[in-house]
Amino acid sequence: MDIDKVIEVLSKCQTPSEYEIKQLCNKAIEILIEEANVLRIVPPVTICGDIHGQFFDLVELFDLGGSPFETNYLFMGDFVDRGYYSLETFLYLLALKVKNPRRISILRGNHECRQITKVYGFYLECVKKYGNGNVWRYCTEVFDHLSLTALIGNSIFSVHGGLSPSIKTINQISLINRKQELPHEGPMSDMLWSDPESIQNWGMSPRGAGFIFGNEVVKNFNRTNGLSLITRAHQLCMDGFQYMFDESLVTVWSAPNYFYRSGNIAAILEIGENLTRQFKTFKAAPKEKRIVKVKMSIPKYFL
Amino acid sequence: MLWSNNDQNDNKRAETKKTDKLYSIAVLLEELKSEDLHIRLCSIQKISVIALAVGHVRTRTELIPFLSEITDEEDEITLVLAEELGKFVDFVGGNEYSHTILPPLTKLARAEETVVREKSVESIKIISKAMDKNQIQTYLFPVIKDLANGKWFSSRSSACGLFSICYKSVDKSSKEELLLLFRELCNDKTPMVRREAAKELAELAPIVEEENLKKIIIPLLIQLSEDEQDSVRILTIDNCISVSKLINKDEFITYIIPTLQNCAADRSWRVRHLVANKFYQVSESVDPEIVKENLLEIFIDLLSDNEEEVRVSGTARISDFSKQIKEYQETISDVIFPIIEQLSQDSSKKVKVSLASVITLMAPIIGNQMSIEKLIPICLDLLQQDISEVKLSIISKLESLSKVVSEEILINTLLPVLIDLIKDPKWRVRCAVVDYIPKLGIQLGVDFFNEKIIELYITWLQDAIFKIRETAAKNLIQLTKEFGSDWCTYNLLPHIFKLLKNPNYKIKQIAMYSLSLLAPELEIDIISDKMIPKLTVLQNNKTPNVKLYLAKCLHELIPYTEETNIQEEIIPCLTDLLNDDDQDVSTFAKIALDEIN
Repeated sequence: MDIDKVIEVLSKCQTPSEYEIKQLCNKAIEILIEEANVLRIVPPVTICGDIHGQFFDLVELFDLGGSPFETNYLFMGDFVDRGYYSLETFLYLLALKVKNPRRISILRGNHECRQITKVYGFYLECVKKYGNGNVWRYCTEVFDHLSLTALIGNSIFSVHGGLSPSIKTINQISLINRKQELPHEGPMSDMLWSDPESIQNWGMSPRGAGFIFGNEVVKNFNRTNGLSLITRAHQLCMDGFQYMFDESLVTVWSAPNYFYRSGNIAAILEIGENLTRQFKTFKAAPKEKRIVKVKMSIPKYFL
Repeated sequence: MLWSNNDQNDNKRAETKKTDKLYSIAVLLEELKSEDLHIRLCSIQKISVIALAVGHVRTRTELIPFLSEITDEEDEITLVLAEELGKFVDFVGGNEYSHTILPPLTKLARAEETVVREKSVESIKIISKAMDKNQIQTYLFPVIKDLANGKWFSSRSSACGLFSICYKSVDKSSKEELLLLFRELCNDKTPMVRREAAKELAELAPIVEEENLKKIIIPLLIQLSEDEQDSVRILTIDNCISVSKLINKDEFITYIIPTLQNCAADRSWRVRHLVANKFYQVSESVDPEIVKENLLEIFIDLLSDNEEEVRVSGTARISDFSKQIKEYQETISDVIFPIIEQLSQDSSKKVKVSLASVITLMAPIIGNQMSIEKLIPICLDLLQQDISEVKLSIISKLESLSKVVSEEILINTLLPVLIDLIKDPKWRVRCAVVDYIPKLGIQLGVDFFNEKIIELYITWLQDAIFKIRETAAKNLIQLTKEFGSDWCTYNLLPHIFKLLKNPNYKIKQIAMYSLSLLAPELEIDIISDKMIPKLTVLQNNKTPNVKLYLAKCLHELIPYTEETNIQEEIIPCLTDLLNDDDQDVSTFAKIALDEIN
């Protein structure tokens, strides 16, 4: 497999052959399997939230934040479902990971699992584009190997959803066996499903998985683990990002005009060399940039 | 995996085919009976290999007849077959035998599926180029007659596409027959055939004799322009363009002008839309006087059409059309500019965007004075209307305008607006301004640039948006080429060196990027003595991103540095980076070191 050729094809929002995808996924698994449940990242790094298959908005993100070959990126999950180009988006990020494993880090979101992708669009997209479910199978296998959390410079903690009542210290996360389909309950599921809420402690989550957690929980967690900030995604923010609990937790959302109808702006969080924080916001890519050159090998006629 | 196995087998068989000629056609026969569409498709794609293997005689006597017998229902197969047959002239033994390919292609030209028919007609056109007059008279002419008298509309449609390639090469009585046939097809009861005939008319017009042009072609043109189907009427404008080149002034006024007037007022907006789009091409074939007297009013009507799309497509052609009446400056000022003003206030955003894309192109046509009086106020108004695509369009084409007007106007009118747009909330607009300013700076001269622009430019290299930083860096090359390497050394480099010390790693990166882009334009001693030392200090930076970029940058600079500096400064620096903890840093350092050795 020629990784540069695959990256080139994907950068135009086109899909490589089924065989190339299989090889890409295998190569990615080889790299991801070595990574810990808690990725250790040295700043500077640019943190990004949900993408949800909005390929051209990902391109906007790179135009804003810099080329992924020279800038460090951390993506907090939810690459697939809802957008039109889940497959191209996920494979593009995967290809970039295979090409520069040290510059880009990807975490698992609650949409990176078999059950959810069957309902919210990724599975259907794979079948539509390839006629069968093989590509979906290869991708879901990669999902099983994605890391869960990241620790940036020992003081910023990143996870897709939020905290778990079973996890008091970051070291406990290393004990989880993550290489499996996302369970319905337990610490792994909690961390990818939980939401912060203006309460003090824990509560039942309306989502049916994970929990809601409040001010005391976050302050305790940060104090216990020596953290200055928790970054997470998982919830839509009209302004792209939202601080909570005296700026000890922030939600970052990177899918502008989410689901092509929400009218929100998106944001990325740039962490500098000295752990300085800067938010940059962006809007959806304009219509002229959202063109996919469709390769036609056999002409299409009325059926 | 089953699929790839078959592919391999096909390849192996293709090899053996070259050595075993008897085997070939038998294998082809067998494969074409296969149930699997894919196998049939693969074997059809390789018929030229078979033809090459069996040789000219057997291709003519066995392969071609066999291909004529194929009754495959799958359109994918017949489409490939039609395409491949167009390449068969060499395989049948050259031009003298090219007519032998006609039978299978004729059969395919009757196919129900449009793409197959069209491909076959295309292939017939290709092989007819290899035929001499005799062959065309003896073989192609009967084919056309046959198709044109076919029972189904499909064969009659295909016939239409073949008239122009045949006409010149046949004798007089055949020519008369062809024209009669053509007239019948223009009067065919199915619109599909009439449409194909209308298409062919434009091709046929330049080929027929003058009297036939007037007796037959032009009347048919007018008749088809009044057809009840808009898919036929839509072709009128192309036919008018073709015919206008062939007739004189009076004939144009008598025949073509009324037709154009009808077209431009057609009840179907699609027809009017295409007329608006191609109208300027008609005006290219006639005198400017006629354009001003007769065509101008038609065009103005199209620009005021009720339908948005018609106005959009007409507006996009304003500059192309105005070029044709360049000598009538007053007319442009009194007739065209009022319409332009009207369009700049149009209720539709699409129209304004279309206007923005061409308005600056009017400047070279109207000259300095009119640009200042009429054009610039409209441009400024459009820019202030706050539609980002409009702003983008105008800014990216400002060069046409700035080349025409005087410097004072540029400085006093355009520049303040641009400086204002630098703060536009849409980053793409800001990027377009950053892209344009160097061109303006070059026009206004180096002193002006140093005084007013350079400070601003350096801030763009530090913009929050990566794309803007990148654009600013890339344009430095153009500026240095114009203003000279000395200017760059004394005015630009000091600023860039300062950026190298910026605490933000991204600014350091863009500074390094700029230096690597500028190196080819600068003196070698400047690079060796001034640039390299400032870069090598970065090796002690703790951020891997800075160091990996440094390794890349030094790699770019090696061809432009003196040998001693390479040995004394670059190599030690790269060697140090080679031992860095970060694997990317050491990889790039290794690539650079390998290059030196």
